[in-house]
Amino acid sequence: MKFYYFHLMPYPMDHAEPSSWVTLSNRYYDPAVGQRLYNQYLDQLEYAEKLGWDGVCVNEHHQNCYGTMPSPNVMAAMLARRTSRAKIAILGNGLPLRENPLRVAEEIAMLDVVSGGRVISGFVRGISAEYFSTGMNPAHSRERFYEAAELILRAWTEAGPFPFDGKFYRYHYVNPWPRPLQKPHPPVWCPSQGSSETVEWAAKRRFPYLMVFTPIKRIAQIYGEYREACERYGYTASRYQLTVNVPIAVAETDAKARELAQQHVMWVFNVGLRMHPPFWRPPGYLTEASLRRLLASPPRLPSELGFEEADREGYLIYGSPATVRDKLRVFSDELRAGILCSGLNGGSHERTLEMMELFAREVMPHFREDAHVDETAGVGR
Amino acid sequence: MTVERRELSVRGTPIHLLTAGAGPPLLFLHGAGGAGRWLPFQERLATTFTVYAPSHPGHGGSPDAPWIEHISDLAFHYLDLLDALGLDRVRLVGASFGGWIGAELATMASHRLQALVLIDPVGIKVDGWIYPFLFGMDVPEVVATVFHDPMAALALAPPDQSVDTLALQYRQGAALARVSWNPYLYDPLLRRRLGRIVAPTLLCWGAHDRLAPWSPCGETWAKEIPEASRRVFADSGHVPHLEEPAAVAAAVIDFCRSAEGGA
Repeated sequence: MKFYYFHLMPYPMDHAEPSSWVTLSNRYYDPAVGQRLYNQYLDQLEYAEKLGWDGVCVNEHHQNCYGTMPSPNVMAAMLARRTSRAKIAILGNGLPLRENPLRVAEEIAMLDVVSGGRVISGFVRGISAEYFSTGMNPAHSRERFYEAAELILRAWTEAGPFPFDGKFYRYHYVNPWPRPLQKPHPPVWCPSQGSSETVEWAAKRRFPYLMVFTPIKRIAQIYGEYREACERYGYTASRYQLTVNVPIAVAETDAKARELAQQHVMWVFNVGLRMHPPFWRPPGYLTEASLRRLLASPPRLPSELGFEEADREGYLIYGSPATVRDKLRVFSDELRAGILCSGLNGGSHERTLEMMELFAREVMPHFREDAHVDETAGVGR
Repeated sequence: MTVERRELSVRGTPIHLLTAGAGPPLLFLHGAGGAGRWLPFQERLATTFTVYAPSHPGHGGSPDAPWIEHISDLAFHYLDLLDALGLDRVRLVGASFGGWIGAELATMASHRLQALVLIDPVGIKVDGWIYPFLFGMDVPEVVATVFHDPMAALALAPPDQSVDTLALQYRQGAALARVSWNPYLYDPLLRRRLGRIVAPTLLCWGAHDRLAPWSPCGETWAKEIPEASRRVFADSGHVPHLEEPAAVAAAVIDFCRSAEGGA
């Protein structure tokens, strides 16, 4: 199994506002605290490479305390120069949110060239609330996503200049300098919450599929659908096309890990993902089919998720190294996920570094049968 | 009163249409959430007119029409409907979002209108005003913004919380968002074009409209359509035809009669 260190770069805080997204006033953001946090988070990502993680992950979110990386490419740029081996996975750029997606093609190519071909380029639509933060029309989200992705892939692979005349994006000259180093282009991943349309789209293009913060039963279901779709497109999905993202707390004992998970992992769900209900479901963001699927078995709002339920349903993993190993076996052996894309949170920078060390020492080595496999060979492009 | 409910195809776009009453034709364009409902307001209009009340594509019983991407598409759609019904000239009454469509249509084909009644329309950029963003509100906030009398909102309450009902509401929201999310509730080109409206026009306004208050919104409409008559309804918010249906219907009937030379 491959291990990628995932970071949201949250701004941990408690508040009584109805939403941690869109409307949570930025007067709560103290740039002096932010300076400390950003640098600690970057230290953690750099340390992950030293400890043996195969990749480091950044991602795009806007106007909230859940994740303070409105531009993931800025963070990736810093990591490109401070790491030398790990893959840098940007999970991802919110394509429909861009007025000029060619900029994404340019920035990813820059990062790929500087990093010596270590970039993984996630394509996402952006979380529902981001259509409130950016003013972009959610009813255009899916169409813009497909069109921007097509444009970027062509910009990376076809010799320019060429014209592009889409419904949303139009150019007379598509000719970005630089071109990416990886051939034919950096691997593309699709982080998603399981809409059938995205599963289909990713499977068709061999783009790895990443489930974010999802109960384990649903991961199993969506993985099944993805594998089935790959078969329909005439190939068998590599395990490295199935990536799982689950927060982990590891400590010397189960009891200690449980305490840390309760305190810090649950913050992500209970506070970080607290959202004014209309922000969850902007009009037209989902197809009617996806909406009906959601309504048929409505997931619990993260802000209402209790620890016992989160534990039972597999929203998170905690325990001693031995317990965490057992729990991870479910992902590696039963779900046959090839990549674990998780962050650790010890509540403070020092304790997080210790937790990372413990994980790297006591957990990771037990999943290294594939140490010499290149997980990006033949997938994502 | 017997209300005829039927499906018809308007230049290839299927819609659901309510028709009732007798007399000269009147086209009623509903606001957001008002599709497919035959309410006391329409009932009263139907005592004097043949009332045609279509559901906008994607709303109520009308299937979604993905080709509708801009408010002018809806205005053209209703010109097509007039042709499909064989109506040369009509009285057009539009409320809120329906008023926006009506105003767009009137700037394109004012000669097709015997009279135009706009009830708290949105649709123009008003200096010094930003329409409160209903898409970001939950139901209690929407009701507080749109209604002066919250009890009047019960007229638009969904029948249940079934998957079908919720899916319909979502589809309506999506159809609305496609043409109105950004710019929100206006067409930047419309305001200047209002001067093209020559049909007799009545502006009806709720005195307590918080979505598009008379000052500055109604005042701007009045300035751009200087010949327009004005009526303010003292006990209404954004939807006087739901909050004071009898008074608004009487005003519409009076206005249409006078516009037609007291006939």
